[in-house]
Amino acid sequence: MNELTQKLSDQGPRLMRASFRWRDLGDSRWLGYWMVTPAVLALAGLILAPLLYSTVLSTYSWTLLEIRLPKPFVGLMQYSTVAHDPLFGEALKTTGLFVVGTVSVELVLGFLIALALLNIHRGRRLANGIILLPMIVTPVIVALIWRYLLDPQFGLVNYAIHLLGYQQDIPWLGSNSLALPSLIVIDIWEWTPFAILVLHAGMLAIPDDLYEAARVDGAGAWQIARHVILPYLSPLILVVLLLRTMDTYRVFDTIFVLTRGGPGTSTQTVGIYAYENGFVYLNMGYTMALSVVILIAIVVISLFYLRLLQRRPQW
Amino acid sequence: MVTTSKRSALLSYLVVLAFVLWVVMPILVILQNSLKPTLLIFTIPPTWAFWPTFDHYAHILSEVHFQQFLLNSTIVSTTTCLLSLAIGSPAAYALARLRVRGRAPLAFLILLARMVPAFVLVVPLYTAFVFLHGINTYWAIVAAHVSFTLPVVIWMMRSFFEDVPIELEEAARVDGATQLGAFIRVALPLVAPGLAASGILCLLFSWNEFLFALILSGRDTQTMPIGVSNFIGTVSIDWGGSSAAAILAMIPVFILGLSVQKFLVRGLTMGAVKG
Repeated sequence: MNELTQKLSDQGPRLMRASFRWRDLGDSRWLGYWMVTPAVLALAGLILAPLLYSTVLSTYSWTLLEIRLPKPFVGLMQYSTVAHDPLFGEALKTTGLFVVGTVSVELVLGFLIALALLNIHRGRRLANGIILLPMIVTPVIVALIWRYLLDPQFGLVNYAIHLLGYQQDIPWLGSNSLALPSLIVIDIWEWTPFAILVLHAGMLAIPDDLYEAARVDGAGAWQIARHVILPYLSPLILVVLLLRTMDTYRVFDTIFVLTRGGPGTSTQTVGIYAYENGFVYLNMGYTMALSVVILIAIVVISLFYLRLLQRRPQW
Repeated sequence: MVTTSKRSALLSYLVVLAFVLWVVMPILVILQNSLKPTLLIFTIPPTWAFWPTFDHYAHILSEVHFQQFLLNSTIVSTTTCLLSLAIGSPAAYALARLRVRGRAPLAFLILLARMVPAFVLVVPLYTAFVFLHGINTYWAIVAAHVSFTLPVVIWMMRSFFEDVPIELEEAARVDGATQLGAFIRVALPLVAPGLAASGILCLLFSWNEFLFALILSGRDTQTMPIGVSNFIGTVSIDWGGSSAAAILAMIPVFILGLSVQKFLVRGLTMGAVKG
């Protein structure tokens, strides 16, 4: 104690202000590294390590029940099974249909409505506020809402169809041919708002003189949309495409809650298929091999988009 | 701004109005179900005029399970939010301002982290947590949630830090502040709105998340979405009760979501679109 007071009075205010090593740390050349370290460690532990763990465990044959037992090493056998698995092929096809069906409609519809929003002046903020609601609603609740709307007996959709004169109860989610289109419509309800808001934000950022110049050149509304707005928005269109493709590729919640991939395998996307293999059939080794393949596919697709986007500074 | 003819303005209003109706109708139907006496829910044609009842709400709120779901969701999402901000904002600042070798590839890797599907990650995480005895703890779910909120916070906060005029930090440095001091006393207060927005987005994402919570939770840690999904699974669905539960679960989401309306697009695009 005495020593410390002695020291303090010797070195006085300098020591106090220096607050020991904090000052060294605060100006260190390594400060940047210190500041990213926790985040890098967290992501390495929560994402990279689990993925590596998956890759290693995918070379063993094991089920969830044998989690604590020694597992037989099978090398790449699971991967050759994946390659020849007709159900996985079908799941990829279903996923592809879902991605293309949702993303294309969301993009076109989103563009048109963003354009309409640009044209209205009163109530635009209010419209914006309402439009964003579906994408923040909990996906499971989105599923619940549509479960009721599409109910064959008591749903409002079938009631409306009855009013139009068609008298049968259509089993939207219970039919092989209608389940996937129904799920696509639900995703369109949920996520078209995203396309609208992103593209609308982009349209607002277009400098006024561009419109002026186009109008001086005698361009009509359609030509302005086609030759001024569309080219200007192309990076944002790519952003929407990239994010929506990624998110629909890995769609899970609504499909899981509403159809669990059924009826039959008509709505079985890769996500549902991987889940069923792991947590229903407990084939963990195989599920991990599936996951690795699914992940590689999405990374390749994303890199392709990001390539296209590279001209944009932020990305 | 586009100056438009009256006709195209009218058309635009009609298009926007039609879309707004398409968006709110399903939500209003659920709201209506939640206020309808049970006997009137299953009538054909649907009953439009009725005296609203709060029975379904009273019933749901008195359910011990429902209270537990609410509590669990609140604990998980606030912890996720605070952790992500605490870990993510220093990293975002470093990536925006400081000399870090390989910061562009690092930022890119963090972006790629957002693309990992939950169903890919949940299998190894589940296996790992079984070994660590983490199933049925809040930490397991929080850790899983941080894996997808952290990249969002880092990218979003980076874009906010880049918006701060660098002169302000330089002035603080001239006045004798350390780089760390400039971060804590100058940059951080200036991005407070961004911090709030990122935090609220974390709350939203964590509150809405389903798969991790489903697999990593146990009887005591199930969150709201799991509770709602139980309603759909049962054979005879309690339409009134589940609708009331859905409305109650939506209220905080709508309040949070609308409070960050301005930043929602920025958050959902990882800071790429400033909105």
